[in-house]
Amino acid sequence: MVTIKASYTKMLETLGKNLPIEELDRLLSFAKSEIDEYVEEEDMLVIDVKTSNRPDLWIPEGMIREIKGIWGEEKGIPKLELKESDYKVIVDPKLSKSRPFIACAIAKNVTLTDYNIKQLMQLSEKIDHSYGRRRKRSSIGMYNLSMIKSPIEYKVIDKNHKFIPLGYTEPQYLETILETHEKGKEFGYIVKGYGHYPILLSADGLTLSMPPIINSNDVGRVTEETTDMLIEVTGTHLGTVHVVLNILCQTLGDLGAELYNVTIEYPKEILDKTIVTPTIEYEEIKINLKEVNKYLGTKLKPKKVEEVLNKRRFDVKKIEKDMMTVLIPPYRTDILHWVDIAEEIAIGLDYNKMGPTKWKVLTTGGLLPETESENIVRDILVGTGAIEVITNTLTDPEILTANVNIEEDNFVKISNPVSKNYSVIRNMIFPNLINVLSKNTHETYPQIIFEVGEIVKLEEGRTWTQTNAAYMLADTETSFEDAHKVLDQMMKLLETDYNLIETEHPSFIRGRCAEIQVNGKTCGIIGEVNPEVLEKNQIWMPTVGFEIELPLIPSLECKKKYTY
Amino acid sequence: MNNDKESIFLPPEAILIYKIISEKKELEINELENISKLSRGKIEYNLPFLQKHDLLDRKERINKYCSLTKEGEEAEKNQLIERRIYNLIKEKKKVSFAQLGDFIKADKKELNAGVGLLRKLDAITIEKGEISIKLPEKDINLELQQYLTKIKKEKVSYSDKISPLVKRGLVNVIEEKQSFLIIKVPYSKIKSRIKELIEVGRLSSNMLRDGSWRKTQLKAYNLKGQPPTYFVGRKQPYARFIDTVKQKLVALGFQEMRGPIVELEFWNFDALFQAQDHPAREWSDVYRVSNPKHGKLPKEEYVTNVQQAHENGYNTGSKGWRYKWDPKKSSRLVLRAQGTSVSARTLVGLKIPSKYFSISRCYRPDTVDATHLSEFNQVEGIVVDPSITFRDLLGILETFALDVAGAEECTFKPDYYPFTEPSVELSVVDPNLGRIEFGGAGIFRPEVTKPFGIDAPVIAWGLGIDRLFMVKYGITDIRELFSHKMEWLRSTKMV
Repeated sequence: MVTIKASYTKMLETLGKNLPIEELDRLLSFAKSEIDEYVEEEDMLVIDVKTSNRPDLWIPEGMIREIKGIWGEEKGIPKLELKESDYKVIVDPKLSKSRPFIACAIAKNVTLTDYNIKQLMQLSEKIDHSYGRRRKRSSIGMYNLSMIKSPIEYKVIDKNHKFIPLGYTEPQYLETILETHEKGKEFGYIVKGYGHYPILLSADGLTLSMPPIINSNDVGRVTEETTDMLIEVTGTHLGTVHVVLNILCQTLGDLGAELYNVTIEYPKEILDKTIVTPTIEYEEIKINLKEVNKYLGTKLKPKKVEEVLNKRRFDVKKIEKDMMTVLIPPYRTDILHWVDIAEEIAIGLDYNKMGPTKWKVLTTGGLLPETESENIVRDILVGTGAIEVITNTLTDPEILTANVNIEEDNFVKISNPVSKNYSVIRNMIFPNLINVLSKNTHETYPQIIFEVGEIVKLEEGRTWTQTNAAYMLADTETSFEDAHKVLDQMMKLLETDYNLIETEHPSFIRGRCAEIQVNGKTCGIIGEVNPEVLEKNQIWMPTVGFEIELPLIPSLECKKKYTY
Repeated sequence: MNNDKESIFLPPEAILIYKIISEKKELEINELENISKLSRGKIEYNLPFLQKHDLLDRKERINKYCSLTKEGEEAEKNQLIERRIYNLIKEKKKVSFAQLGDFIKADKKELNAGVGLLRKLDAITIEKGEISIKLPEKDINLELQQYLTKIKKEKVSYSDKISPLVKRGLVNVIEEKQSFLIIKVPYSKIKSRIKELIEVGRLSSNMLRDGSWRKTQLKAYNLKGQPPTYFVGRKQPYARFIDTVKQKLVALGFQEMRGPIVELEFWNFDALFQAQDHPAREWSDVYRVSNPKHGKLPKEEYVTNVQQAHENGYNTGSKGWRYKWDPKKSSRLVLRAQGTSVSARTLVGLKIPSKYFSISRCYRPDTVDATHLSEFNQVEGIVVDPSITFRDLLGILETFALDVAGAEECTFKPDYYPFTEPSVELSVVDPNLGRIEFGGAGIFRPEVTKPFGIDAPVIAWGLGIDRLFMVKYGITDIRELFSHKMEWLRSTKMV
């Protein structure tokens, strides 16, 4: 999801209609967007664009393009007039292994209001961040054309090169920019990975920018006074830089700019050819109407499909019986398969008008045997008067170790936790229950709780998920047999013979703690909780309890779920 | 009371109470509790014996006393608004109406009310928006101010003088019911006639066996008293809600499926056609496991097919994502970030036709607050049949909206998931809360299904039940779903 901000009145102006927020929101759904918030005092709409695959929608012009199509005000692929220019970019062969591709265009007579500049910056930032994979795959630069002389050089430059980066007053070494400039610190790792410095230079030696880090403070500053701009996209993937430039050109065209192309001269190490950008070519995709109708559950005729696709800003080039050749707008990158066109048709028809059809897949439903088994255990424990709790499986390591007097930390740890409180996956449940008791010392006793829930185990590099059941009882007077009698009755109801084998466990009192064994295999622990543990958790009541691993109870059908 | 000389039989505790009240002539029941050291229940049990013999009377009185509201507390601390305004004007001589707010921190409504009050008291004049003093050196509403202080400090009975404060919402009137016991015949007068009554409290097993229960009188209980606190064993409210959702899905013919919490990126992302550099796969969007970092990929055939789907579309006719797919990335271990990974696993050897669902714990690196959890439940599922269409999908969603959410109406919107096409968002219209997003769905892209040898369309759907539960139970803080609060666990309504 991508969130953008836009002016409500400016959007209505461009749409040429006065629409209430609700209606605008409804129309925006055709552009896979929705209004998240409207800040009336600032005339600001916060719009969530749900698709990460449609960078063309990350500016109001893109959404409006879609709405005008739905209204039928504009049909098919928007036309974009391109004029020739003498501008040329020469690409350095040394860039072949780092950031080899560039695409440029010129936009003249642009009316750059403060709002338009902000919108273009927002679009660039969002594209750089998301579609450009944080500038790694592609990044955008915009410049004041009047200061640039052709041919422009896109080259690798010596580290002793200096220029004034945006927001600075003095020239800085490239290395210094990477170390000290805000953008250098954020994106410097990309350039460091290249092992050399890419730079864009005007024919007279003036620095345009160091892609993908930062523009220069003079040429690379676009203001309300700027009328003619150079737009440039560099990156590691040719298709990506071309389509990103197409999106920018379409947007600037919609804003009323005159667009000119730029010639890119590649060395043979990269492409061995010259490309004139932007490359406004319409890609084709063939669809079989029979397949589409079967997929959607519709009975559409070619004529209707063409009409709907025109609404979605596509052109239909050819219709031969059921085969249709569809032209894709050059700013769209998301059409991979005919199912993508099928979706466009469905959206154009309006989901709410297609008419849901009734169920026809008749199957027998059922719970998994392991869920049924878990439910049996839950029913037994509820019957003992215990109250079920659900605790977090993603928890604090302290809860699983220090709080219950345990040293081993044989549980799955997260390498990127947001907070220590949620940084490991539990390998047992009873410590969570002790934590619950510690939070309720002001409530009346007895407190009898249980949880039947998932845990994750880690053994010899393998991990699996399984279900355990844990039970805890805290009261002014309680002892081992209060837990034992519950376990005993549960095991009887589960037709399971078990033995208690005295053991030592740091969470429980010595001599009042046992392993629960079934068929000679340890499947759980029972005991009176160690006063040290109670004191640590500020539970001032004797506490007893047990935990069993349900997959080890033969009469139940709980299974270990291995990850691999 | 009858005048004869007959004995009056009273239980020992009733005699004790009788003596105490006789001494005081009149006694409030709480005081009796203090003096007698008997519980309220015991007192209530014994009083009827005394009343029956017309030894005392019981009268209820309602006592009204005052307490400060939140606004009252503020007015007590900062002075009443009219006093603040009056004092300000006294100090500044003249203040423009518009500027009042600059000097006095209070909302506009309150300021207006203050000025209104002063005008009514004829204490100020307003000319061309300038306020000045008319009555010099007057202590405006001093008495009311003093009442506020008094109420804060002690228990003040309600009187008409306080009514302006009540009307202004500064003071609440609290009604307290008091029971007074008034002696009609003092103990000393009939002392000789009072006899102790021996009663039996409990019926015993022995009394039943030897028949002695026939000769014994069992004490009558006060049936109006509060019983001791008691909590039944019960299922956690949210767990129970999940059980009912499962029940509904099973009734609709869905088979349950489950998967592991620690998941391979392969199942969580790659099999679902999410490109390896897709932003949703970043560090900030999915929890990664640090020990071990990698797992073993499934059967090579599937891995190769998925790889091709990403690189060139496999045999689907898709262009694919056109990049070099890295098996190492795919074998990274993460915490299941979306329930769809369970559906992805089910694609192996999928029966056609079939319908599946899972309710699974999913994990995202969000900062935990009232609207975000680091772990949450997702309801997900698939429906597969060679004849199924997008309009059938809309039909399935409609059923979920009506049968599972209990809504009266639902709407659809285009949506985006990397693994479905078309994708749709489902909103339901709740009679009380309006439109809420309830789910999402779509038809799995061929790049998702074909690598597992599936040729039929597979509908994938998901429902947001955390949200639904919160709406139904009026919960505003999502953390309550995993609440530790015993009070909530014990006492949340079940219906």
